[in-house]
Amino acid sequence: MIEIKNLVKKYKTRQEEITALNNINLKINEGEIFGIIGPSGAGKSTLIRTVNLLEKPSSGEILINGENITSLAPDLLRKRRQKIGMIFQHFNLLNSRTVRGNVSFPLEIAGVAKAEREKRVDRLIELVGLADRADHYPAQLSGGQKQRVGIARALANEPELLLSDEATSSLDPESTGSILELLARIRDEMKLTILLITHEMEVIKQVCDRVAVMEKGRIIEEGKVIDLFANPRQSLTRRFIKSIIDFNFPEELFKDHNGGELIRVSFLGKSTHQPLISSLVKTFELDANILYGKIDDIQGIPFGTLILELEGEYNQVLKGINYLKGKGLTVEVLSDDGALDQAVQV
Amino acid sequence: MTELLTRLSRYNQLMLAGINETLYMVGFSLLIAVIIGLPLGFLTAITRKGHIMENTPVHKVLDLVINIGRSVPFIILMVAVIPLTRVIVGTSIGTTAAIVPLALAAIPFVGRIVDNALQEVSPGVIEAAQAMGATPLQIVFKVLFSESLPAIILGITLTAINLIGYSAMAGAIGGGGLGDIAIRYGYQRFKVGIMIETVIILVILVQLVQWLGNLLAKRFDHR
Ligand SMILES: Nc1ncnc2c1ncn2[C@@H]1O[C@H](COP(=O)(O)OP(=O)(O)OP(=O)(O)O)[C@@H](O)[C@H]1O
Ligand SMILES: [Mg+2]
Repeated sequence: MIEIKNLVKKYKTRQEEITALNNINLKINEGEIFGIIGPSGAGKSTLIRTVNLLEKPSSGEILINGENITSLAPDLLRKRRQKIGMIFQHFNLLNSRTVRGNVSFPLEIAGVAKAEREKRVDRLIELVGLADRADHYPAQLSGGQKQRVGIARALANEPELLLSDEATSSLDPESTGSILELLARIRDEMKLTILLITHEMEVIKQVCDRVAVMEKGRIIEEGKVIDLFANPRQSLTRRFIKSIIDFNFPEELFKDHNGGELIRVSFLGKSTHQPLISSLVKTFELDANILYGKIDDIQGIPFGTLILELEGEYNQVLKGINYLKGKGLTVEVLSDDGALDQAVQV
Repeated sequence: MTELLTRLSRYNQLMLAGINETLYMVGFSLLIAVIIGLPLGFLTAITRKGHIMENTPVHKVLDLVINIGRSVPFIILMVAVIPLTRVIVGTSIGTTAAIVPLALAAIPFVGRIVDNALQEVSPGVIEAAQAMGATPLQIVFKVLFSESLPAIILGITLTAINLIGYSAMAGAIGGGGLGDIAIRYGYQRFKVGIMIETVIILVILVQLVQWLGNLLAKRFDHR
């Protein structure tokens, strides 16, 4: 669907040259929701804005269904853009038009006849659940409702691709949830491809199939969302995951343990069903004391965290830890106060 | 008091004619100023750096024209354009002749007001339209114009009020209207009552125009 090849974007300011995109290569498949996450200034907005050429790349290619859009003549580019919907963090609705007028706007631009336009507008407003607000002005709507208008407007010309630039970043968690649900639903119903950028891991967790992590103009890690959660390789990725999966445990946990080795074990999916702890205890003659445990859900797959206190011979403890790692679990050794113990490398 | 009013009522015909002439001068010069100033303001705004038809040389020239036009004091403009007025109208005195300097003064004023109003339109909204594949012309009419209409209306209202003031000045050099009456009767013949009456009428006129402008602007303002 989208293929980005060797994309570079440089901004020249008076003082310096900023490389906002540094050789990006990316493939996005038809019908998937692809997320790009990264900290502020990573180049996410720049990247998504090159996909409809709001930003002109310095070099590189962007192929949409095999067609290189970077070399399109202005009028062909405008035609092409009609088939690429876009939604924005600050909605960017026309204040002078009602909900109906805003959704009708891209159809007027595309020259759709009035009767057809009205039919489609009604259907779209129905689709995003704003039928009772059709004649309201944006100023009379909540943030979530405004973004629904934005989505209806973006879908008006039946695009094959939807670009979302931080569409939920100025919404409360509840509205964010319902907007993400709406995006997932229209992807299924309209067989749309969605490229979204965000700085919130929660958004990636809730709707994305695949994700790329961006830092300083580069993509540093990429893969299926579930794989990334299970096996993050970059420290930035780990930090993003930690931002939504609570790794902070009640401090009292660590107050009255017996002086054994504290470890944190994380596991994803299947391993949950294996009797690992009991094999650990039996095989290595250890006492395993469960201090804390919880299971999160990532797109329907259980993601568990356990804090164990292992008591026994130090050698056996180390072997036990390696055993767990061998079973595909992530194991980290904690110091007595529950912080990651940098000194102990197993 | 009643005595004063009866004495003043002898000049009712004169006053009505004065109001008429003022409205004629202001109305026509405003119309011309809008017809020329509106496109001038649009062109200035959209050729600015980063806007939909960025063109720095054109922008700089238009910006300069507006600035120069705005910096010439009306009283000087009025005298300076007399030759031009003669060419256009055939004479340099009378209400029709006054329209020329009035319109000339108001054109750059409207231009600047429109330019300012357009700069208030959110760049995000313009960008959204571009992302939908809108042409520059579609953006001008469907985005810039409709989004800034309330501000443009208020700006034109302000221009109209300024023109009422200027038209009184134009009266001083034989332009007719309420200003002319105030000077000829009030100042030169010491008829203070008439002077005060014209001032009161001008105040009411300004209030009316402002009220109408606010009403109209509010009608289009949905922010
Ligand atoms: N028009 C511009 N001129 C100069 N530099 C720019 C311009 N736009 C972006 N940049 C720079 O490019 C880099 C990437 O910016 P970008 O907006 O893509 O980041 P982002 O990942 O979207 O960040 P955020 O999460 O804050 O929106 C930043 O260093 C930014 O300062
Ligand atoms: Mg951004």
